[in-house]
Amino acid sequence: MMTEQLPDEMELATAAHVKYIQSLDTKKDEYDYWLTEHLRLNGLYWGLTGLHLMGHEDALPRPETVDFVLSCQHENGGFGAAPGHDAHMLYTVSAVQILVMVDALDELETRGPGKAKVGQFISSLQNPSTGIFAGDEWGEEDTRFLYGALNALSLLGMTSLVNIDKAVEYVVACGNFDGGYGVRPGAESHAGQILTCVTSLAIAGRLDLVDIDKLGRWLSERQLPCGGLNGRPEKREDVCYSWWVLASIEIIGRTHWIDKEKLVHFILECQDTESGGLSDRPNNMVDVWHTCFGIAGLSLLNYPGLAPVDPVYFRYALPVPTMTQMGLDIFAVSETPVKPGPRVEYVFLRCINSPVSSEWKE
Amino acid sequence: MPSKSKGAPKAKEQANTGSNPSSANPSNINPKTINERSAYRYEVGNPLASKKSEVGGVQGLSPTERATWTNLTYVRKAQDQKRLPLPNKANKDLWKSINESGVPLRGLDELEGLKFPGNKIYDWGRDRAGRDIGEYTPEQFKKRRGKRLRVTQLEVLGRQFQALRRKVGGLATLEDEEIDKERIRREELAKLRMELYGEKTGTYAQDPEWDDIEPVAQVEGEGALASIAYSDDYAEAMSYLRAVMAKKEHSPRCLRLTENIILMNPAHYTVWLYRFSIISSLNISIKNEIEWLNKVSLAHLKNYQIWHHRQLLLDHFYPLFDPVDGQPATADNSEEVKEFALSEMGFLKKMLDEDAKNYHVWSYRQYLVRKLGLWNLSEEIGYVETLILEDVRNNSAWSHRFFIVFSNPAHASSNPEIPATKFDPKVPADVTEREVGYAKRKIEEAPQNQSPWNYLKGVLARGGKKVEEMEEFCLQFVNKLGEAEEEVTSSHALDMLAEAWAEKGEKEKADLALRRLAEKWDRIREGKEKGGHAALIAPAHSYSSATSRSFHPPRPQKNLHSFGARREGRNRSKTDGYPPRAGDESASKARKPGAEHEGAQGE
Repeated sequence: MMTEQLPDEMELATAAHVKYIQSLDTKKDEYDYWLTEHLRLNGLYWGLTGLHLMGHEDALPRPETVDFVLSCQHENGGFGAAPGHDAHMLYTVSAVQILVMVDALDELETRGPGKAKVGQFISSLQNPSTGIFAGDEWGEEDTRFLYGALNALSLLGMTSLVNIDKAVEYVVACGNFDGGYGVRPGAESHAGQILTCVTSLAIAGRLDLVDIDKLGRWLSERQLPCGGLNGRPEKREDVCYSWWVLASIEIIGRTHWIDKEKLVHFILECQDTESGGLSDRPNNMVDVWHTCFGIAGLSLLNYPGLAPVDPVYFRYALPVPTMTQMGLDIFAVSETPVKPGPRVEYVFLRCINSPVSSEWKE
Repeated sequence: MPSKSKGAPKAKEQANTGSNPSSANPSNINPKTINERSAYRYEVGNPLASKKSEVGGVQGLSPTERATWTNLTYVRKAQDQKRLPLPNKANKDLWKSINESGVPLRGLDELEGLKFPGNKIYDWGRDRAGRDIGEYTPEQFKKRRGKRLRVTQLEVLGRQFQALRRKVGGLATLEDEEIDKERIRREELAKLRMELYGEKTGTYAQDPEWDDIEPVAQVEGEGALASIAYSDDYAEAMSYLRAVMAKKEHSPRCLRLTENIILMNPAHYTVWLYRFSIISSLNISIKNEIEWLNKVSLAHLKNYQIWHHRQLLLDHFYPLFDPVDGQPATADNSEEVKEFALSEMGFLKKMLDEDAKNYHVWSYRQYLVRKLGLWNLSEEIGYVETLILEDVRNNSAWSHRFFIVFSNPAHASSNPEIPATKFDPKVPADVTEREVGYAKRKIEEAPQNQSPWNYLKGVLARGGKKVEEMEEFCLQFVNKLGEAEEEVTSSHALDMLAEAWAEKGEKEKADLALRRLAEKWDRIREGKEKGGHAALIAPAHSYSSATSRSFHPPRPQKNLHSFGARREGRNRSKTDGYPPRAGDESASKARKPGAEHEGAQGE
């Protein structure tokens, strides 16, 4: 693969990044640390995902992880960003994803108000007439919450609690003239929102509703001459878009419409190979968000030594037998064209009340 | 009662005459440091102590000394217990002996074991700079003592204040003067505590208004995986927030508290929600709140919570605009709404001056347009045009223009079957013409700018026009394609030409356009252009059919002629798969659709 041709400094400094992620909860003397308390659970999820993809699942202690996650839970089933923070969709989704990653979903039953409560919290946030999801009782609506809801509910096996068709309708209404999707109907196309819409449609089994070529074209235009990707026309490149854009373009099967080598090169340039972590652009300050998405991007580009990542659910791709074991309803499995590197299996979960016909079963 | 002896002078003498190699010599009567003074006082009060340690214990003392020491020790201890349980004769003998030896009755306790490190009699502790207080000069020490006394005094006065407050039944009934005095006392107290001990007293602890609240410390949860350290101010403010939120208190002081926290950490979503509930409860003037919010927004450009808060405010107070003739109030029918809209727009302009592409601001703007019916507000479309004039590459402005024009209820069917991006027969032809013209003019300004090209395509789709109608326009930017003097000033134009020619069925030309893009004019997206080529050649196998099976990514190597790649052992004309070289005129002519490519499908 390309690494044979790359100089040493253009390798992924895995050990440094693992150390960086591990150090995050020890930085008690850093101002930034408490400034991001409202993201704590998300931060844990990003860090853990990065570690899993780098093959270092055990780098963060499992019991403490589970303890912390559960300490963020409220009586209504939802999770806040940290103990004492209000319950909100974003952190509830992170909580579920973390527990699945460390295989502790059962502890929701034994130590918390139970999985059903979590499902109830999430489903209660859907607007029954428009299909969109709010973040919490205060009503902010965003396609991020819609994706989060579908993601978490399908991991919990509870998608029947919500109206998938209505959600799909809303996503379609967010489609724009340039092929992209915005945060709400009419809003400007933005790579982050696009991923939430595309993944939502993937989970719902309705990718037929996407104008694939048009979207693919818009996404491919995100690549700048330096190889990095931006989030909207005429904006700067940022390594987190290596995930938002890349995952979208992978799901619609147009990854070959961008220059992958250049992108790998760009992501590797964003590393701090000494202290670990990745930043938004080369030579900027690192943070766990960009570290996670940069590594995920590399995984999706088949960078050697990384575990395969699932672009729909955004975690390492679970093998089919595990999914079956978890009781998830699998309806299709597909492979990417084989390149050197690990095979990636994408698993789509059929939503129980989706209009998908049986012929789509393989 | 035992007779008092003239302890001090005699003891000094004693100390001087005794074989005490310790520090009790005349020069130390003016000790330089407190440690020295302590050592001196110790010696004076325990004249035999050093002798004793020197000779290895009581048994090493001379009989006289031993007797003295024993008596003294007994008396000292008995003094503590305030009794001397001896029969009268023994008592008399004891006191006679003590008086004769002339040792002081009072003195520091004898140290049984080792002295403190550095041979100190006593450890006075350290000051805030870490300096041993024992090393202070007596003057410094006196000053310090003075401060400590003052602290005690202030604490006493503080307790009196609390008692007074309880007596009159609360802060509200106290005289302002009293409260101010207390505030001043606490300020002084905080200052002294900082000087003496390096202790910081929080703002809230200093404020009598908050005395009734017991701050709630951060609970880290089991394991404390994500342990957090705070700056003192933030930590204190948060601990008070937790306490009042638990009580569900909605009061002006809580409002101020939320403001304080927001200024320190505007992304803390919980505190915003609490603030909103306080505002609702107290019926705070929305105008004032918005003014405050404006300041915060300008200071924190990338923050979701600020904009959601603004939206909540609007949702909450919009119903205050009375309906007009049974219809909801909009900018069209209500001056009040229009005025409000313009003031909002005025602020949004300030935000966009800072960052013309701020996603939150544009998203809120759209919400405002829908909510207040600003479709026909000339200022709105005018503003968007101004922004595009200032920066033709502002994608957000282009996006907003599309929204204003094509989501306008006057131009859009309310038919839910027609998404915002597809052809809508309700769009007036003149609107479509106008927008196409606008896009074209802006393209001419900067032909490589993506946004107006996307816009143009969007308008064509919405207005039901074909891409091929743009052929002539696009040819402005593409000259002598495929030839030596080839000139392309816009890759987007070339891209659109490929589409236009494909639409018209001119596959050869479309193919050429795609090839030139892949080879030269948009090399980074070579994959896309090759894919486009594939779609032209074998539409049945292409991914253009939008089914979910397209999720199975295409395998471009199979069944498709992959140009650019060299293939061994194929009988092909030498131009197949190779880019036409400069001067190789035959290359562009030799390629013919159909037969050769059909052959490729056998692979």
